[in-house]
Amino acid sequence: MQRLEARRGVEEQHFLARRARSHSYNPPVDLRLVDYVSSYDPNLMCPICRCPFVDPVVLAECGHCFCRECIRQSWNTQTTTYTPHGPHGDCPSCRTPARLRPRSTTNNILINMTDELIVRCPKSDEGCKAEVKRGEVQDHVNIYCGFTLVECGADHCELPVRRKDVAQGCLHYGVSCLSCRKELDKCNLDCHWRNDCPARQTECAVCKSMVFPRDLAEHSSTACAAISVPCPGAALGCSNRSTGAQARTHADTCMLAKLAPILTTQHERLEEQEAAQKQMSRKLEVLEDGFTTIQSILSPFSSDNMVDKLGTDPAPGPRPTDLPGPYSADFDLDAPASFSAPNTSAGPYASPLHHLLHMHESLRDEISRISSALSELDGRHSMQNLNENLRTREEISYIGAQLGGLQRQVHWLTSAQLHRQQAGRSPTPGSATSAGTAITDATSGAGVEAALGAVNTAATALRGAARMVNVGGREASGMRRGASEEGRTKL
Amino acid sequence: MAAPLPKRIIKETERLQNEPVPGISALPHDDNARYFDVMVEGPGGSCYEGGVFNLELFLPDDYPMTAPKIRFLTRIYHPNIDRLGRICLDVLKNNWSPALQIRTILLSIQALLGAPNPEDPLNEAVAKQWKENQAEAIKTAREWTALYATAKK
Ligand SMILES: [Zn+2]
Ligand SMILES: [Zn+2]
Ligand SMILES: [Zn+2]
Ligand SMILES: [Zn+2]
Ligand SMILES: [Zn+2]
Ligand SMILES: [Zn+2]
Ligand SMILES: [Zn+2]
Repeated sequence: MQRLEARRGVEEQHFLARRARSHSYNPPVDLRLVDYVSSYDPNLMCPICRCPFVDPVVLAECGHCFCRECIRQSWNTQTTTYTPHGPHGDCPSCRTPARLRPRSTTNNILINMTDELIVRCPKSDEGCKAEVKRGEVQDHVNIYCGFTLVECGADHCELPVRRKDVAQGCLHYGVSCLSCRKELDKCNLDCHWRNDCPARQTECAVCKSMVFPRDLAEHSSTACAAISVPCPGAALGCSNRSTGAQARTHADTCMLAKLAPILTTQHERLEEQEAAQKQMSRKLEVLEDGFTTIQSILSPFSSDNMVDKLGTDPAPGPRPTDLPGPYSADFDLDAPASFSAPNTSAGPYASPLHHLLHMHESLRDEISRISSALSELDGRHSMQNLNENLRTREEISYIGAQLGGLQRQVHWLTSAQLHRQQAGRSPTPGSATSAGTAITDATSGAGVEAALGAVNTAATALRGAARMVNVGGREASGMRRGASEEGRTKL
Repeated sequence: MAAPLPKRIIKETERLQNEPVPGISALPHDDNARYFDVMVEGPGGSCYEGGVFNLELFLPDDYPMTAPKIRFLTRIYHPNIDRLGRICLDVLKNNWSPALQIRTILLSIQALLGAPNPEDPLNEAVAKQWKENQAEAIKTAREWTALYATAKK
């Protein structure tokens, strides 16, 4: 009976060890790494891992859906402290505060839809061609897949072997690849032959020549004799398409093919030049901008120029030569003599009236310019004033604070003095020394009191000054504003 | 590398290549699929128009649970970007959400170029200039764009 128990124990251990090994050979399938055969509805995609939902949960607070693991991870990294109610945080999609309940609602339709998606077996790169529903992929790997690693069936061999090879007995003996002479275990030969063997050649599907698998892509794009390639001069209009050797002979004779490389270099150079030109023009723009601003700053000083310009410009008012009969007659009443005046730069005005009108116009312009300059000056001054004021006010408040401190200190000193005086007077009034100190105390007390008074007056004076500064600033700006207003109304 | 590249990064990279966002490109390095060379064009109508800005983007190991690290390599005059190219953008810091993607982040950065926010500055000097004399600041930004962010050949 005891022996039976012991044997069962040993068997159990053996079984558990086997299971642990097979688990380490074949980790559980990560559903986020499998390939999906068909496209799926983007609504089935988790916004965090961008795969179809794995164990989806719906947040009760806002209705957004995530993989359970995704939402838990995203909340773990946020600065959330532990709470007994489970993980919580803001919804990654809408930032609504939400909580993951122990049995958060899961949508059954959603689970069914994601489990129905067809995926490739995770061992597909080892050769398994199975395509199964996602919900069954774990079962496929655990039970059916021929490429899952299981323990070798032979006695005393604990190495892993693919399930499909178990029946062939122990395959853990060394062989060498016939093509590349590489030493490897028999059970890995298949896989090596299919994927890795560097010496194996395959047949090109189009031209039937033998090519190494790793060169196949290059072969079919350039060298393959059966795939026709366009002439290098196709961009220039040669419509010739030929294969392999023919293409080479054509390229030797075709003028356009010879021109093509030259043209492309030309094109590149042209683009380079254009880019450079664009850059230059941008720089020019910047410079021009700067120039115009400088000009606008300088222009108030070159008013002579302005007047000259105004003088040579055609007068804004109507000219007699342009006017129809009745108007010109109306205008020329005062000065009929100047009617015949030639249109020279010295005297373009048909009459004194026009001259006056023109003068008036130019003066008006002048005044508007001056007023704008004035307002600008006003703005600058008020800014300056404000800055100055601010600084002064700050200084004053600083001095005030210092003064307050001083005041407190003086106050403390005087009260201490008074205390000492009273204390000295009451116990030994007759003592000469104490009387002396009392007198000195009294005088010093008086001195301190005087100092206090001085400090107080200084403080009030300062406050007055501050008020003055404030009022002065306001008045000054007000006055200037008034002046500019006046100027404007005069216009 | 211990962990395989998450599917999500592969998918995002593929989508960036196959359906690129206009004015934005992101290419992963051959030797490190988590490191991207990014190019963002200055948005039209902004003072960065015509500029092409280079950035570097790195996806940390716990991406998408944490935000990607991203930095301007091209010099830029902008109140929310400092001298080292670091970017002050809420979605890169506290407001990151794993539901955001590389493309959304790059779009936010392009939007930031179109709408500088001097109220939440990273570069104090630029922000001050921006608040006090916006015209001058925009001019400077234009000049920097022409100087540093224009293709040199
Ligand atoms: Zn997910
Ligand atoms: Zn939500
Ligand atoms: Zn399989
Ligand atoms: Zn064996
Ligand atoms: Zn071989
Ligand atoms: Zn071929
Ligand atoms: Zn040709």
